[in-house]
Amino acid sequence: MLATRSFRLRSFFVVHSGREWRTLEGHPGLKGVYPTQALHWTPVAPSRVYHRELGDLYKAESLQRHLQQLMEEFRDIDRKLQRAYVSESDRKELLMKRTELLPLATAFERSEQAAADLQEVLTLLQTSAGTKDEDEQLTQLLKEEEAHVSCKLSALRTDLVKALVPTDPLDSSNILLEVVSGRTTGGDICQQFTREMFDMYQGFASYKNWDFDLLNYTPAEYGGLHHAAVRIAGDNVYRHLKHEGGTHRVQRIPEVGLSSRMQRIHTGTMTVIILPQPVEFDVHVDPKDLRIDTFRSRGAGGQSVNTTDSAVRIVHLPTGITAECQQTRSQLQNRDTAMRVLKARLYQSMMGKDTEQRHTARKQQVGTRSQSERIRTYNFSQDRVTDHRTGYVTRDIKEFMRGGEALCDLIWDVLEHAEREALLEVVQSSRSLKPPESGQSAD
Amino acid sequence: MNNYNFPSLRINLLLIREMERLSICEHRSSGGLWGSRVVHTCSAPAIPAGRITALQAVDLWKNHFTERGVMEPDHSSLYIMAYLLGAKTVKSLEQEKLSEFLSPEKTEQMWKLCSRRLSRMPVQYVIEEWDFRDLTLKMRPPVFIPRPETEELVELMLNDLEMKPGTGIGADSQHTCLEVGCGSGAISLSLLKSLPQLKVTALDQSQDAVDLTRANTCNKLFLLNDRLQIHCLDVMKDAETVLSLCRHVSTLLLFFSYKIVFDHAALDGGKDGLKVIKQILTLAPQILSNHGRVYLEVDPRHPPLIQRWVEVNPKFRVCLFLFVRPRFCILRKEKSNKYHKLDLD
Repeated sequence: MLATRSFRLRSFFVVHSGREWRTLEGHPGLKGVYPTQALHWTPVAPSRVYHRELGDLYKAESLQRHLQQLMEEFRDIDRKLQRAYVSESDRKELLMKRTELLPLATAFERSEQAAADLQEVLTLLQTSAGTKDEDEQLTQLLKEEEAHVSCKLSALRTDLVKALVPTDPLDSSNILLEVVSGRTTGGDICQQFTREMFDMYQGFASYKNWDFDLLNYTPAEYGGLHHAAVRIAGDNVYRHLKHEGGTHRVQRIPEVGLSSRMQRIHTGTMTVIILPQPVEFDVHVDPKDLRIDTFRSRGAGGQSVNTTDSAVRIVHLPTGITAECQQTRSQLQNRDTAMRVLKARLYQSMMGKDTEQRHTARKQQVGTRSQSERIRTYNFSQDRVTDHRTGYVTRDIKEFMRGGEALCDLIWDVLEHAEREALLEVVQSSRSLKPPESGQSAD
Repeated sequence: MNNYNFPSLRINLLLIREMERLSICEHRSSGGLWGSRVVHTCSAPAIPAGRITALQAVDLWKNHFTERGVMEPDHSSLYIMAYLLGAKTVKSLEQEKLSEFLSPEKTEQMWKLCSRRLSRMPVQYVIEEWDFRDLTLKMRPPVFIPRPETEELVELMLNDLEMKPGTGIGADSQHTCLEVGCGSGAISLSLLKSLPQLKVTALDQSQDAVDLTRANTCNKLFLLNDRLQIHCLDVMKDAETVLSLCRHVSTLLLFFSYKIVFDHAALDGGKDGLKVIKQILTLAPQILSNHGRVYLEVDPRHPPLIQRWVEVNPKFRVCLFLFVRPRFCILRKEKSNKYHKLDLD
């Protein structure tokens, strides 16, 4: 029990050198959940604040209630499984539920164990409080042990809370990422910005070692980008990039392009669209519902009418969703690519209903983020990027636009914020014994 | 138009038109439309004195093609430029590369290639390559350029081969195909790439085609163990040789893709095309194994004629055809040397 002398500081206190301070602007969700322990947590690297915030939730009454409900259900399942007269289908169902709840149960047990350990140490400390000085060494060791177990307990409780966060079944999918330039009344600031955003995501994909397959790249005049589409494949791509979808705003005094002569601050926007790409068999498309437009040479007119136009456009007649591609010289390859894009779009529209339901009442209090609302502003003249959903602000925009660690940090922050919101929703709205099941349609 | 008559102007215009007409005839008489690689330089714009960027060159030539009535002016100049810069399409190139100045050698090459296009030479011949499905093949006149629709024919064949019960292309089945008129080898090579166990015999009556197909087999790593045999044979004149080639092998597919150029100097595609088709269908029962199939890509006028001929001809008793596209015909051979219906779903 009296373990090693040197207790290891958990990563909570690691300070990353050279990192900018992070400011919190208007964080509505955190009201009333800051514990008093916050005082000895110095502002550190942004990524670690996650643990603090989520760990804090542990204290919330609603979460405790929810946790107890789930644990009760788990024990209930165990009891039911032990009975002899469970039917085969029921048994399967119970086993599935049990597997779902198992990580949570394990985390719960571990944290309970750590709490018990901590209690033991505290009692020991109390009893040794009034003893002589010889036991000061013992007291010292006990105090160290207490700190160590305390840390461990906090970490385990954080893990427990993490286990309660509802998982998105689409998280591990690959995605289709599209960038579309916005419109301005003059100049090409939007198109330039769109190209920079595209480069940023390309940089991010290589930073994360993901595959970056270009599907469509339509440049604008004067060097900007009008719209582009890529397929990004790798580990958990959708999980990382799902919050990148929306309108990004730029503010700068342009250095290149048409607008640079005026030396005034210009504002522009561009839109990022993220579509999870399902496994092929998930989206079944009936060929009869498709109309495929290609350039067909008329008749057997010989070599003089050989076409080089291999563009393909596919229209899904029932929904009107289209996809086109003219990326390669082979019409068939273009058609295959267009099919993939179409399937992704169809999937998205099918899932669209589902995602709507995930936007909860809580989010409505904060303010809905529809496609037309800005999610992030990139201010080049003031060298600052602000995400409007979390209030995260970071500097060194040039480094940020490389799509490396800086972007990664911001994405993590947004992700944690979203997961936290999702957890709170689940916890506060759960009244029944059913565990959270995301991705379930309410039809 | 204008009210003033400028006799000298009109004569000039007439002269230019006459020259163009003559030059086209010139090409024709020298053995095939694109037999020679004469560069038509008199109507090409001058190479600029200073350096220009790739984008500028593309625009310049696009305008010139439009003026001279060359088809697909924008695609033509874009594909030629992409080829020069080492890519397949301009879209796959980085923006910076297109804004860079071209070297004098590249500019000269661009002019040379675009001038060929100016003389109405198809882009595929100008850059001497093109893509077919997932392959890049060399293209050379006078061998025919594969068409996009033919890609669909290959897809049909692959679907059918993969779905065949009992005679599936598995690890232990040795199936052969016969292609009549392989041209650049597009169909044969596509099949061979997708089906590692397949063997193909390809024929063409033109030595140029045979040479080009052979050239296209270089660097194709999937062509191990001599899976492709190429012969210069005419199915009309060398029928016996063709039959002897296929005698000892179980041939599952026979395909023929119809491409006869509609030139005044060449055959009348309609009538003579049908002759070849009939010959193929006459030979096919002896070539094909049971349940073997014939895939034909023909002129849209042909299928009803083929059907009638096969039904009426006393040697065969044919039932239905499978019209997947107006230009595709698929026939299946049944056990007793007869063709049988393939029901539409």
